[in-house]
Amino acid sequence: MRKIAKIALCFTLFASLSYASEQFAMSDADRAMYEELLENNPADMMLASGGNLLEELGGDAAVAKFLGVKEDALAAYLAGFPRYLEKFGRVVSIDQMLQGMMHESGKKPYALKSNEMFNMSSYVKSLANEQPINIDINANEHMKKAYAFGKEVFDTKRGARGLSCYSCHNPSVIGTILRTQPLPDISAKGNASAATWPAYRMTKSNLATLQKRFQGCMENALLAVIPLGSPEMTALEVYFTHEAKGATIALPGLKR
Amino acid sequence: MQRRDFLKSLGVGAASAVVIPSMSFAAEAPKPRGKNALAYNDALGVATGGKKAEVSAKVKLKVPEIAENGAVVPVTVEVEHPMSESDYVKAIHVYATKNANSRCIGVHLSPANGEAMFATRIKLGETQEVVAVAELSNGTFLMASQSVKVTIGGCG
Amino acid sequence: MAESKSLIKIKPNSYKSGDIVKVSFMVMHPMETGLRKDKKTGETIPEEYINSVKFEYNGKVITTMNVWETLSVNPVFTINMKVDGAGELKVTYTDNTGKVEETTEKIKPKG
Ligand code: HEC
Repeated sequence: MRKIAKIALCFTLFASLSYASEQFAMSDADRAMYEELLENNPADMMLASGGNLLEELGGDAAVAKFLGVKEDALAAYLAGFPRYLEKFGRVVSIDQMLQGMMHESGKKPYALKSNEMFNMSSYVKSLANEQPINIDINANEHMKKAYAFGKEVFDTKRGARGLSCYSCHNPSVIGTILRTQPLPDISAKGNASAATWPAYRMTKSNLATLQKRFQGCMENALLAVIPLGSPEMTALEVYFTHEAKGATIALPGLKR
Repeated sequence: MQRRDFLKSLGVGAASAVVIPSMSFAAEAPKPRGKNALAYNDALGVATGGKKAEVSAKVKLKVPEIAENGAVVPVTVEVEHPMSESDYVKAIHVYATKNANSRCIGVHLSPANGEAMFATRIKLGETQEVVAVAELSNGTFLMASQSVKVTIGGCG
Repeated sequence: MAESKSLIKIKPNSYKSGDIVKVSFMVMHPMETGLRKDKKTGETIPEEYINSVKFEYNGKVITTMNVWETLSVNPVFTINMKVDGAGELKVTYTDNTGKVEETTEKIKPKG
């Protein structure tokens, strides 16, 4: 079952490469080689480690209990994050939800930028593998607002070069080469970013979440870096997740 | 509102675009040499004891022609040769001819492997030939090579 | 410890005695070449790389590897193995700093 998700993932991963100019075009044989990489994704180890950390907190069952959903409904429920949670009074991503869960059980929550949290939250999101992203931005006022705010953050030009996320991530520039890299399609038609992150980044040799990836683009494009878990970041995640709505979750991804 | 202020503090509407921004990739630098530096010809000589390695179609070396990231280049080597107790592939060596230390790995197999295959991922600092050398139990050496074009160096 | 820093994967999932399966050993390791500089301090990061890997199946060494720092970070080592009854596969690696670590996986042929 996992296999199917992985094949779909290969496709999205390499689809983006096929936009590249001939100079960087890969042959089918090359693509097959990179597909093999996905079979042994180093991030599998990190997710396994995250699973062990969650085990200490009561495992998958504890997450279901904290969220007030039945265990067999957990996967589909997780596929709808970020969500507005009554307990928090705001829209939260999976990592913050886990912080709340740790806090409630008297444990000191892992920092959002700690490896423990990257590993554990990635593991928890992977429980939704093979589920379609089902975020509902019309579920309530909070989600509506978060989406609108996320779109605003996405569209707002800032930084020394006056760029917005939209400058590089809009339908008319997809596939254009920027310093050897084709600009990826983040929507469900392309990379479906929200469905393929957290992912292992080969250039960084580490596991990164979607929000961490946002920070990477902010650094590269000289936009001041927005902190993980801030309302801006969560809203941006809501926006990206909605863009990839319907795409099948296949974690962990493997990215350049 | 508060969130508007946050965006403002990050410089909304600041200086307009100059040039297409460059992503932060490491610049090409002279090749540094570490303690294990060993040129390909010398390394090959050590492994074969000076014997000649014949280029052979039996050695199937699979590497991408274009590596999109030199830090992670998949390599697979298969040797079409029996793996019986009396006649088998004893070792597979992988070299990156232009890395300062050209040696990547030496894999010592046994008939218990069933088939002579090995796969890993290597770092390539620049565009170069990757070489696979197979050592047979009768003491002969076979080899195959392929050039890999690296678009971004693996050492950044 | 909750840390899981290495993983053995066997493909396919289900196999019989006599089958040849693919065994992948993955390990989290920095594979430092000793040539990189810490971006913040400017100091050279000391070399730290896996230098040997050994695969043992039911106590018998089937494959050994001499490894160099030129392999990728968090490396993967994949070989074939002929299944020869139930038991255990043990993979041991050492690195240049003297670290030795062991991982095991049950071999359970179906028939
Ligand atoms: C200067 C152009 C540029 C800007 C501005 C930019 N990005 Fe990117 N982004 C890229 C490029 C190029 C890639 C692909 C890089 C690669 O392949 O490593 C990318 C990749 C991504 C990815 C990963 C896509 C995937 O599925 O693999 C995400 C997520 C992302 N950007 C989010 C953002 C966000 C959020 C912003 C605004 C804060 C932003 N980007 C601004 C150029 C940009």
